[in-house]
Amino acid sequence: MSGRLPVAAPDAVRRAALRLVGADRRAFAAMLALNALAAGAGLVGPWLVGRIVDRVQSGGGTGTVDRLALGILVCTVAQIMLSRYARYVGHRFGERTLARVREQFVDRTLALPASVVERAGTGDLLARGTSDVAMVGTTLRDAAPEALTASVQALFILGAVFTLNPLLGGCGLAGLAGIRSALRWYLRRARTAYLDEGAANSAVTEILAATATGARTVEAFGLEQRRIAACREAVEVSRRARTRTLGLRSVFFPAVEISYVVPVAGVLMIGGALHAHGAMSLGAVVAAALYLRQLSGPLDVVLMRVEQLQSSGASFARVEGLAGTAQGVAAAAPTPVDDRIDVAGVRFSYDGVHDVLGGVDLTVRPGERLALVGPSGAGKTTLGRLLAGIDTPHAGSVTVGRVPIADLSPDQLRRQVVLVTQEHHVFLGTVRDNLLIAAPAAGDRELWAALAAVGADWAGELPEGLDTPLGAAGHRPDGSQAQQLALARVVLADPHTLILDEATALLDPRTARHTERALAGVLEGRTVIAIAHRLHTANDADRVAVMEGGRLTEVGSHDELVAAGGAYAALWHSWHGDVPADRPA
Amino acid sequence: MIDSYGDPGTPDRRSPARYLWWLLSSQRLRAATGALLGTVWMVLLTLAPYVLSRAIDDGLRPGDMAALSGWTAVLLGLGGFNAWVSIMRHRTMTRLRMDATFRTVKAVVDHATRLGAALPRQADAGEVVTIGVTDVQAISQSLTMTGPGFGGAVAYLLVAVLLLAVSPALAAVVLLGVPVIALTLGPLLGRLRGTETAYRAQQGGLTARIGDLAGGLRVLNGLGGKGLYAEGFRRESGALVAQGYRVGAVTSWVQALGVGLPSLFLAVVTWLAGRMAAQGTITVGQLAAVYGYAAVLVTPVALFIECGYDIIRGLVAARRVTDFLSLEPAPRGGRSAADAPASPSALRDPVSGVEVAPGRLTALVSARPAESAAVVDRLGGFEESAVTWGPVRLGDVAAAQVRDRIVVADNAADLFAGPLRDVVSGRRDRDDPAIVRAVHAAVAEDVLAALPEGLDSVLDGQGRNLSGGQRQRVRLVRALLADPEVLLAVEPTSALDAHTEAAVADRLRASRSGRTTVVTSTSPLVLDRADTVFHLVDGKVAAAGRHRDLLAAEPGYRALVARGDGDDAPDDGGPGTRSGPEARAGTDAPPPAGPRACEEAVT
Repeated sequence: MSGRLPVAAPDAVRRAALRLVGADRRAFAAMLALNALAAGAGLVGPWLVGRIVDRVQSGGGTGTVDRLALGILVCTVAQIMLSRYARYVGHRFGERTLARVREQFVDRTLALPASVVERAGTGDLLARGTSDVAMVGTTLRDAAPEALTASVQALFILGAVFTLNPLLGGCGLAGLAGIRSALRWYLRRARTAYLDEGAANSAVTEILAATATGARTVEAFGLEQRRIAACREAVEVSRRARTRTLGLRSVFFPAVEISYVVPVAGVLMIGGALHAHGAMSLGAVVAAALYLRQLSGPLDVVLMRVEQLQSSGASFARVEGLAGTAQGVAAAAPTPVDDRIDVAGVRFSYDGVHDVLGGVDLTVRPGERLALVGPSGAGKTTLGRLLAGIDTPHAGSVTVGRVPIADLSPDQLRRQVVLVTQEHHVFLGTVRDNLLIAAPAAGDRELWAALAAVGADWAGELPEGLDTPLGAAGHRPDGSQAQQLALARVVLADPHTLILDEATALLDPRTARHTERALAGVLEGRTVIAIAHRLHTANDADRVAVMEGGRLTEVGSHDELVAAGGAYAALWHSWHGDVPADRPA
Repeated sequence: MIDSYGDPGTPDRRSPARYLWWLLSSQRLRAATGALLGTVWMVLLTLAPYVLSRAIDDGLRPGDMAALSGWTAVLLGLGGFNAWVSIMRHRTMTRLRMDATFRTVKAVVDHATRLGAALPRQADAGEVVTIGVTDVQAISQSLTMTGPGFGGAVAYLLVAVLLLAVSPALAAVVLLGVPVIALTLGPLLGRLRGTETAYRAQQGGLTARIGDLAGGLRVLNGLGGKGLYAEGFRRESGALVAQGYRVGAVTSWVQALGVGLPSLFLAVVTWLAGRMAAQGTITVGQLAAVYGYAAVLVTPVALFIECGYDIIRGLVAARRVTDFLSLEPAPRGGRSAADAPASPSALRDPVSGVEVAPGRLTALVSARPAESAAVVDRLGGFEESAVTWGPVRLGDVAAAQVRDRIVVADNAADLFAGPLRDVVSGRRDRDDPAIVRAVHAAVAEDVLAALPEGLDSVLDGQGRNLSGGQRQRVRLVRALLADPEVLLAVEPTSALDAHTEAAVADRLRASRSGRTTVVTSTSPLVLDRADTVFHLVDGKVAAAGRHRDLLAAEPGYRALVARGDGDDAPDDGGPGTRSGPEARAGTDAPPPAGPRACEEAVT
């Protein structure tokens, strides 16, 4: 379907990130301060090693060495403690921020207009809510704190070399310049290459999974060679993608590794010259060389994480993208004056080119049973969605009690019109959670009454009654039980009009009969619009509306339409085995 | 080069270790190169502190610029050369892992196709999927031991030699101390994994809730209750934060100690070496070298231990692979192998009493669709049974012969991702006119027309980019295109509207004329076209004949195909429906229900 959900622009992503930091700025500041102290403590060690060298050189005894070495031990312990608390504060900051991100995501998802969700499909939403939020989470919990800590360490190490001698510091920094250009080169290519590799690897996994789960089909249709060929093809795509990322690493890794040695060599040469002229102590040169050798650790961490930070930035942009679609909180629509539904001159199109509905007029009388029949693709379901307020017509109007249905909020809508389809979503949570959605204020008695009305006797036998969890961890409702839960919700919502879109299609006869008994309890005293692919029961409706090519072609009672001898009559006869003259027996 | 298309060879299934060995011995040269490069890399890594110490002792300290330049040049050259060795090692090891991954995937996929219908009976498909997702990864990762793992061991020995030359006492402290620290850190990391498990489970629950929200948003949009949902999510999210704090309290210690313990050890070594230098036992350059060795030794030792864990994980994963590869296809035709009958012959299922006449269209109808499907499974040779095919037992005929002539098409049949042309073609490629004919016969012209690139359009796995009715017709196209001598189709029209269903029933009959066809269905539109209809009750034939004869003679049959499930007299359909003889269940239509006109129509 068209109409994908938007992705946040770079500056919006930056603002959102700053907002998140701002929301918890004290913790953020504490994290920075602790990391700085830890990095500072980490620098004392090599410096003291340099002092030891100097003292040994100048003939200092073991007493001096003991004092200095004790200093190294103390600093190391201090570093361990400081970095532990730095990480702990960082971890808590990440945890809180992640909670903010996901809660905001859920709030925004709930605020999405129904038509946007239907258009974009739930797949995109699901991917953003699960893998993108998880990606942002990993970054907040692991990558970002690690990269931050490592950056602070690297800065301190460089700072220490500068303090020892600015010339040596400058030499160290210049030596690292190679990393910068190698990183830029790498990052420009890495993202797409690794995305391709990920996709190619998933494709291989997918082939293996599909072949294993579909092994019976493979045998039934003799697809062995096709599956093997598909597997080889996917392996080749994966091989190429992996070779490409390997090629990128083959340039990047050596460039970085050589860049680590260059500053050490530079410091030795320049420091050596200074030392030879008595401008610098031997210890200072040794310390500077040891510092620069240490630099590779934190820099490796930063370089390793940079790519992840980059791709999680893309995930964050998708998560933040929902901000752009939030529904303007519309003022509550006026209350409908009565239960009459009017469809007037309605046109509708999904793609803006082909009209799915091309001028439909229909008045649904309160209390009547109307069957909507016609071939697939005639627009029955679309009309049902307009009647249920999911979509807004492009021309014409769909009103209940003279109020446009699509303007009603869910809490208003559920008292008016409810669409029942074959999808019966059971929410994670208890039986009660599943029912309260339709009537948040309902008490136990009302909930039990609703379950009884749809014949959900099984609910009475659940170990914890209404508080029994449903789904993987608790009771697993089967198809008809899920349907009964959905219908109990409808009873609680108590709308005056129900639209049934193939509510019981695809069920075997026995289950369908159970369900229809349950439905009978729901239908009592309500207006019913039934969308039917099949004809079994159309004859029992007060009126039948036949749709073809986005228009209503026939409307009338069953008997009238059969007598009229049109499309409906032809179908009815073939359904009931009346042998038309043109088919040989 | 890794050959993506080549045969994976014959895996050694005798044990997980042998399997890993097989993966290595399939690429001996690569494994040997990896070991060599890994060793050189590690050794050069440990040589750097030595060169540095010489630069200090020989050049820097005495102020000998020539010696200093010489040793610095060696340091630089060593760094450059090792960067090259390092990347060559990485390239070799990446290829080694890639080869192992692909070899395993190919072996598993090939074996899955050999197992066929026996696979779901002997193994849980979910477990096989795990092989593809995690086990392959673990297996190839475990092979890292051959490169850097081997090199790590050699590097350790080399440092031992170098350190012994400096001071036996220091050597003992460093050589024993580093492994002790690495082994102490190992369990700590294990603890970390433990605390993370609970967090991950809870996090998974929360992710499932977001999935739940995406799936149920339609309901929430129609019925409200969003505030309630948001509140519930916030509560669970808050609980996860609290759990996250607990994890963080442990994690932060583990991480800090992971870095800190080696530093602490380094401090102790420096202390000892410093005293020795002060006493004149070792030189200043050797002091710097010891410091460097102790620091550099952490890498190979940690790597070596990580390899140990990798191997344990790799063996567990390899066990799953060898278990799967050891599954055998169902034995067929074992006792008394027989050839399939030469000409089209009747299929008889003694359990149900169904007899399928060659060249005719037979229909099975049952109140419980699973009963008809079970009969089809037996007739198609997917279940062990006493079904006979002409004069022979079906179970005695070789699988290849059965599959060649009898095809079972059910709605659970998988649609594999790929171009529509490949999806509908079976064991051999078909030309376009043949495909178009089958598309016509399955009334799937609109499916084809709606796809942007016609027959070349790519379908998602399981036809996820099609509607239910479209998927069903694509399956039917595949079944008709296979054009088998015997086609057994389970509920081929259950997801279609009456218009389309009527067309499918007509064209199916026409396109299969003269060939043996069995369909299960409860739709009168389909049953009406059958030469013979078997009405099954409790899995056995209760009545047989033509549709209209059965309608007239069998009240149970009439009740089933016209309305409900037939084993229950009409009742009032529950509370709230209209009075009178109406309001009985229909198979699949929504309920402004009543059998009034139906009874008129069939009488």
